[in-house]
Amino acid sequence: MNNKIIPLSTLFVSRLLCDQSDIYEKSLKELLSTKSELKTDIGSRGGAKNYLESNTPIDVITYQQIEHSGLTSLVDVLRYFVAGFNAPETSVADGSDHVRSFTIRGMSPDQVLVLINGKRVHTSALLHVNGVIGRGSSHVDLDTISIASIERIEIMRDGASAQYGSDAISGVINIILKGMGHKNSISGQYGKRSRGDGVQEQASSFISIPLEYDGFFNITMEAIKQEATQRAGKDRRVMPPRVLTHVGVPDSVNYKAVINSEIVQTDNINIYTNAILNYRDSKASAFYRPPNSDVANSNGFLPIINAKILDYGLCAGVKGKFSKDTSWDLSNSYGVNLFHYYVNDSINYTLGNSSPNSFDNGSLKFTQNTTNFDIVKHLKDLKISSGLEYRYETYKIQAGDKASYTNNKDIKKIAGSQGFAGFTQGNEVDRHRDSLAFYMDSVADINKKLTVEVFARYEEYSDFGESTNAKMAVSYKIMNNLLFRTSGSTGFRAPSLAQSFYAQTSSFVDEKGILTHQGTFRTDHEVSRAFGAQNLLSERSKNFSIGGVYEPTKKLSFMLDFFYIDVHNRILLTNNLSGSTKEQKALLLKYGVSQIRYFANAAITNTRGLDLKMNYSYEFENSSILEVNSWLNYTQNTINNKDTNTQNDVEKVRIENGQPKDSLRLLATYTQKDLEYVLNMSRYGAYSQMLNGTVYDFDASWTTDVQVSFQATKDAKLSIGGNNIFDSVPNKWRGDVNNFYGNNGIKPYSRYSPYGYSGAYYYIKATLEF
Amino acid sequence: MLKLFKMDSHHQQINKMLKLAFYCFLIFLFFYGSCSYSYESENKLKTVIVGKLAKYITWKKKNSSKFVITVLGNEFGTLFDEVYLHKQIKHKPVEIKYIKSIDELKKSEVLFISKSNRDNLNDILAYTKHKNILTISDKRGFAQKGGIIQLYFLDQMLKIRINVEKLKEEGFGIDRTLLRVVDVLKRDKSL
Repeated sequence: MNNKIIPLSTLFVSRLLCDQSDIYEKSLKELLSTKSELKTDIGSRGGAKNYLESNTPIDVITYQQIEHSGLTSLVDVLRYFVAGFNAPETSVADGSDHVRSFTIRGMSPDQVLVLINGKRVHTSALLHVNGVIGRGSSHVDLDTISIASIERIEIMRDGASAQYGSDAISGVINIILKGMGHKNSISGQYGKRSRGDGVQEQASSFISIPLEYDGFFNITMEAIKQEATQRAGKDRRVMPPRVLTHVGVPDSVNYKAVINSEIVQTDNINIYTNAILNYRDSKASAFYRPPNSDVANSNGFLPIINAKILDYGLCAGVKGKFSKDTSWDLSNSYGVNLFHYYVNDSINYTLGNSSPNSFDNGSLKFTQNTTNFDIVKHLKDLKISSGLEYRYETYKIQAGDKASYTNNKDIKKIAGSQGFAGFTQGNEVDRHRDSLAFYMDSVADINKKLTVEVFARYEEYSDFGESTNAKMAVSYKIMNNLLFRTSGSTGFRAPSLAQSFYAQTSSFVDEKGILTHQGTFRTDHEVSRAFGAQNLLSERSKNFSIGGVYEPTKKLSFMLDFFYIDVHNRILLTNNLSGSTKEQKALLLKYGVSQIRYFANAAITNTRGLDLKMNYSYEFENSSILEVNSWLNYTQNTINNKDTNTQNDVEKVRIENGQPKDSLRLLATYTQKDLEYVLNMSRYGAYSQMLNGTVYDFDASWTTDVQVSFQATKDAKLSIGGNNIFDSVPNKWRGDVNNFYGNNGIKPYSRYSPYGYSGAYYYIKATLEF
Repeated sequence: MLKLFKMDSHHQQINKMLKLAFYCFLIFLFFYGSCSYSYESENKLKTVIVGKLAKYITWKKKNSSKFVITVLGNEFGTLFDEVYLHKQIKHKPVEIKYIKSIDELKKSEVLFISKSNRDNLNDILAYTKHKNILTISDKRGFAQKGGIIQLYFLDQMLKIRINVEKLKEEGFGIDRTLLRVVDVLKRDKSL
């Protein structure tokens, strides 16, 4: 068999390696339908570059690919295409149910920088404090951006703090909004889960108004109504056991608007603006509260946590030229995220019969304003750019209704609204900080084969001090179709204001049935200080990558990159600490809590692994086209934590094994005249979660997505498809941990599941261009 | 072939079936397909399209033995030389000239204005006026600013925008079949 296969494969490879005939022999029509290289802006201020020739690993997802996926959420789009991008769907985790956390290479969500058109995007005000992937982080809420407005997504898998500043440790995501020349369109999608629930209705419109000299004004509007899915197990605390808690995708409505505009002036001055607006009303439950004879007015109820999220941002800038080879760019980006908690269908036990059932639990607000001024000078084989950045951030916690948090002086009962206690007046905070950065980049084409990039950035923050970072990236073309690349850099992540100043007190009955009043305190609070808290310092990173690109032909490419990242001063939430000294116990009593926790610079983490990618495209004699993309990621994370306050096996398991170490994406698209077939297979590696001192392992899984599209007329397209069509669900907990978790518990699946647990989703979609 | 299915274990059987499917796929691709589907660099497409467009354009003046393409502000390295080496346009050998300033422009059928010359665009267009020189550029808004042919990329495909009014004003003839595949500039009188 092998003897037959070797000559066959040799024949095929030789065929592949046969380059096409002279491009000049092509007709005008053929030339106009020849694909050009895919260029990206990310990674260098020197101008767009073919992503396959970049000094650092860069990936691109185009809007045509996004349309093939049938997905309506940007987080899901990234998970669909990017191996090593993880975005679990969690339930019964307070605010974390409403803002999906995401990671690249298994690192923290706040170690990913997100840009829109190359400018920094503000993060969410929410801080994940429950035991979810991304615990302790505030990150960009990717669901605020309508995917109908996106032209392409660029992902740089490398440290880039020396270029972009804080957060760019595990990678940078640059979202390029649709520019000139796109057709107006309206689109509608209807879908539901194979089990009949989770109905999703989506409608979007994209309108582009051409302006003088190829300027444009684009506006995208989108509405998505998502019905909850229900995958909870029976509640064994009631007789007969029955499903009472909600576990699955939350009920939500999401309204999004995006504007992207560029006014081109005759004197080479371009004025650009982009704006995003998002309002989300999302409802998810806490655990069901069974009838309780100890408290008045409790017949059993399901508290619903209702998050109302308002997010908006405006970026405006002017760019022009000082001379033929010197350009400048002045911009200002302002963004706000307001996360307001409400709890409905609940009770504050301590208020007895006078307790309301609906509560305003207060809000979190984050504001960010960034001003940039860049200059780029193009010399013969050298591009030099430098710039200044000034950033101002504020973080605010506003208290809820008194009924949402009061304990009515009865600390023997669980205080505040059941499900989620409101922010108290003592939690209120209004803090700000600013930072000033100066940076320089240079890109030198030493010769036709060797390119060297050097970046340096100095930054001073008003809270933690200064940070200087550098990066060097080198690429060498060993042959015309073989590129070697390597980069090394230092980086940092400024502690978020939320990590320094978040505060909330909640009461719950712990695993041993003991009533616990737990307080999360600011790092500068006297209680935290008594336990050893200090002002937070920045996380410091060292990144190294080495790899290359091999293009046997222009229809086949391979990318292989190894990466190694060390992070020092990793910020973690401490364990729940009970007082041991007299002073600590007195302070706990003073603030009415039995346990406290706060954020601390605690650990060293190490991340290493590889990415292997293959892209292949083929045109058949009948003009049909097959495109195949595959991507394998392997990542290993380790944590070294010697700080006793934060040392925690649950955290260690979450960081080291809570996310798949390996993941694989296999995507094939076949286009034949008016029909388009898409097949996507994803493998998610095994993962583990620790609960009650036991590590539970969950198996690797495969999901399969398909879509068939029919171009009914020149302007109308119909699609039908399914995600996870074989209804793959993760394996359940092994045995029963307690009434809440376990094979027969309320939550049968791990919240770390990398593809959720709601199962197959089928949809139909119609798009009309005009 | 029958030996293939005499397997020791279930896993080995699946493994060999997958291998067989993979090699069948390779053989299918080899025999079924013929032409490749690949990408080209933006610069190469821009370079090649100049000669292709010339086939659809008629020059008023036919006074030279060579077809001259002048590149103002070369951003293409040696691409023009490589593409047009031993090529003919309008049955004439092609000569490529590179200039840094519009003052250096001499007799030429085509003037390719690269992006870096944007500061001087008005001067360039004034200089070429009524000289029956086909101006082509990849500069944004070129056609609307008084240039004749603008090249731009959308969805990784090269697009052509023609200012037909200007083309005629400069005394060129055009094969109307070209207008079927290009974007014709629509003059908005309000602009």
